[in-house]
Amino acid sequence: MKIKMLLFVLCMNFTVFAQEQKMSATEISSFKTAVDKETKTIKSLKTDFIQYKHLSFLSKDIETSGKMYLKSPNLLNWQYTNPYQYSIIFKNNKVYINDQGKKSSINAGNSKMFEKINKLIVGSVSGNLFDDEEFSIEYFKNKEFYITKLTPKTTTIKKYIKLVELYFPIGESTVSQVRLIEPSDDFTKIVFKNKQLNAKFDDSVFNQ
Amino acid sequence: MQNLMIRFLISSGLFLLFLSCKTHEIPNTIKIDSDRKNFQNHYFSDSQKDYVYKANIEVYGKQLGGIFVAKKINDTLHRAVLTTDFGNTLLDFEVSENSFNVNYCVDDLNKKIVLNTLEKDFRLVFREKYNIEEVFENQTHTIYKTKYGNRFNYLFEHKSDKMLTKLTHTTKVKEKVLIQFEGKNTTFAEKIIIEHKNIKLKIELNQISN
Repeated sequence: MKIKMLLFVLCMNFTVFAQEQKMSATEISSFKTAVDKETKTIKSLKTDFIQYKHLSFLSKDIETSGKMYLKSPNLLNWQYTNPYQYSIIFKNNKVYINDQGKKSSINAGNSKMFEKINKLIVGSVSGNLFDDEEFSIEYFKNKEFYITKLTPKTTTIKKYIKLVELYFPIGESTVSQVRLIEPSDDFTKIVFKNKQLNAKFDDSVFNQ
Repeated sequence: MQNLMIRFLISSGLFLLFLSCKTHEIPNTIKIDSDRKNFQNHYFSDSQKDYVYKANIEVYGKQLGGIFVAKKINDTLHRAVLTTDFGNTLLDFEVSENSFNVNYCVDDLNKKIVLNTLEKDFRLVFREKYNIEEVFENQTHTIYKTKYGNRFNYLFEHKSDKMLTKLTHTTKVKEKVLIQFEGKNTTFAEKIIIEHKNIKLKIELNQISN
């Protein structure tokens, strides 16, 4: 009986720790200041990532992984290496795609949609999405993370994304996990690993 | 002389019409006697399995890539989803022998012609049971002809390993869709190519381990 009680109490504790609480106004303000300050110092970023696509009817999430390179203000290479090769590069208002050797490019300068995607990706990784007119933002925290929840304001984005959740490990000012939740509640979770801020790498990673 | 010319034109015209209306036949095959009544395609028959593929779609010269997943929901129903490589859902549908239900579709794909084509294609890919009408063979394959509404399907089963390698969907006179399967065994296709003969559409699916 005592063991059962103990287990019950332990589980209760776990639930309490895992639960999210809304951040107070003071907490939000200092958190935003810290992230803004850190973001301003980021000139480049290099990270590995694992992407999990969750579809409710599947028995297992679909897992893909790769590397991401970002250079301020607008160079981005998002590269899948496993289980297949695929890269998308944002460079000089152009989008270059290399799908397992099949290359194509899109002129993003004229496309509002691509501008939004670019902003969303760069913002998600760096964490700098706070003052975006596109989203209304709520702030939460649990034992491990500060969590910002971004709800799209425009109907264009609402059609594709219901909610974006950014997870900042406590004590860090950059994102370690992103969840993009679709209107159906299926979601894509991206976990960043081996993140290196202001890492030195050659601009040639942005060549297709 | 003029009459002769007209007659010649009419008869050659009729001859050409006859040629072009010739019933569709698979070349270099002979009809054989067989007691077999049914053919089963097991490539999407395991309801415990998630079938996950990298998809490449070529439509009128344009390329679209992403991830395609399929799952058998019950005896008659399959669910399939196409996402971008980033994971955003583009299309989510359920298809059975008699039904087609779209759970979600992005605006760019939400066109009657696109959805009708995908409905027909994936009904063919997922369909498990076929009633055999006639049986043919060539050196490498046994070919089962099955009726499909007012159209036909020809299922090519490799003689040695009994794998379904090809399915052609035809009218009485013409091949409309060609589906090729490559696999290690009769229950899993590692590669599927769906090729249309009357529109410029090719869908290639390559299994990714999950």
